[in-house]
Amino acid sequence: MNPLFIGTAERRLFGLYEPAASSRGKPRAAVLCYPWGMEYIYAHRSMRQLASRLAAAGFHTLRFDYFGTGDSSGEMDQANLVGSNSDVEAAIEALKDIAGTSKVVLIGLRVGANIAANVATRHKSEVEALVLWDPIVSGEHYVGTLQEGSDVSDDVLREIRSLDLPSSLAGIPERSMVLVTERLPSHEQLGMPVEFVPAACPWVEAITISGALPVPAMQRIEEWLR
Amino acid sequence: MAAVEFAYKEQAVLLGRHSLVGIVTRPPPAQQKDAPAVVILNTGIVHRVGHHRMYVSLARELAKSGHTVLRFDFAGIGDSKPRNDSTSPLLASLSDIREVLDTLEKAHEVKKFILVGLCSGADHAALYTHADSRVVGLVLMDPTLPPTLRYYIHYVMQRLKNIRNWISVATGRSGLLRLASAHVINRVRPKTQIEGLNLQNLRFSSYLPQCYRSAAVRGVRMLAVFTSVSVRHTYKQQMLDAFPEASAGGTLRLEFFPESDHLFSGVRERSRLLTVICDWLDSR
Repeated sequence: MNPLFIGTAERRLFGLYEPAASSRGKPRAAVLCYPWGMEYIYAHRSMRQLASRLAAAGFHTLRFDYFGTGDSSGEMDQANLVGSNSDVEAAIEALKDIAGTSKVVLIGLRVGANIAANVATRHKSEVEALVLWDPIVSGEHYVGTLQEGSDVSDDVLREIRSLDLPSSLAGIPERSMVLVTERLPSHEQLGMPVEFVPAACPWVEAITISGALPVPAMQRIEEWLR
Repeated sequence: MAAVEFAYKEQAVLLGRHSLVGIVTRPPPAQQKDAPAVVILNTGIVHRVGHHRMYVSLARELAKSGHTVLRFDFAGIGDSKPRNDSTSPLLASLSDIREVLDTLEKAHEVKKFILVGLCSGADHAALYTHADSRVVGLVLMDPTLPPTLRYYIHYVMQRLKNIRNWISVATGRSGLLRLASAHVINRVRPKTQIEGLNLQNLRFSSYLPQCYRSAAVRGVRMLAVFTSVSVRHTYKQQMLDAFPEASAGGTLRLEFFPESDHLFSGVRERSRLLTVICDWLDSR
């Protein structure tokens, strides 16, 4: 595992690169997009496990913190969705460069899935496959679940409210999967198959503290990407 | 071209034999103080960023005022690989701290350290200090405190107000009964050594007061911060009653955040916490 900084001097992003364990065949690469806020904190362990599994399965993997989050530069009040989209673009460029590939797989969890869908739509030629893991279907509904008094600014709340997964799915790459660990009625509005995998929700505090990992979901992602 | 000025510099590092993942935050060379390096420990299973990115903000603020700061993950936490030996989790964490301080001492030529921790991080810091004279300061947020007589009185008074607690006592399911029996068992068979200890039985161990005593005798400065919500802390002076020697040398400062939850979720409380820690560090 190699901790590193990617991006520009003004927008240094902390990342962890894991090289592919085997070099058989053409190299493949995967960028993992974290959730936001406290979901990022609690999902960190699962995302690390997923990265290690994919590396063992032959993927060069990169997971990174968006600007203003985690170990990346910037302060929390500078983090926003527009910026996070550009950070995923920077991560794709960095990983292509490190791994020597022309395309990457994008995997996003929660808000990270919505960001990944937007970036994949704009960069279809660089995204060989897209995995949307428990994406936010409705930003309006998601905002209602945020803790009162959380650090999110009004501008960012507006951005999150505008998240609308059904419309984001219109231009995503052909090879895309929506995987969910909890079934919601709103999944029926998506207009594409949604794969339900019974597994722990990795972004939930109680699940994380209990030590449970969403192993079936990670196995399914690995299998689907093969 | 003029050199770019920076308020602090962050570097990703791998530390020690177990390649523990950490971030060193350093001040600009001109502002570097001849002060102990600050090492921030994990809270439970949360990685080095901390809840609400608290440790990133703290590291940057301290670096701006001249301190070198390290945030790192214990083996098996965050991005650090798990150990492949049979060392107990507590001893493994204490061994990780030693490895990290050794590495920092070599790489940054610092000889003295201040450990910072919240909850389990505070307990790791207090326990470690006992065995390493390089640690000269502790910032302990909601550390484990042994129950004192006054603690039990407060505990009982609070619970008597609720009829459900009466029912629990009558049916033998009371938390107080469990607490008291654990207290008695640990009095009869006290754990005076670190072997066999874990963070769950720490509050009854006589090893913990020993650690605070030896730190105080050595003149280790301590800042202890308490929030409102804790089943282990029911009144302000509990730390002084539990560890009377810790305050004897005048090296202990207590700070209270009655409006804050355990994780300093409120922006205002978190901001005040940063100010309190920075001021304490600079008040040597």
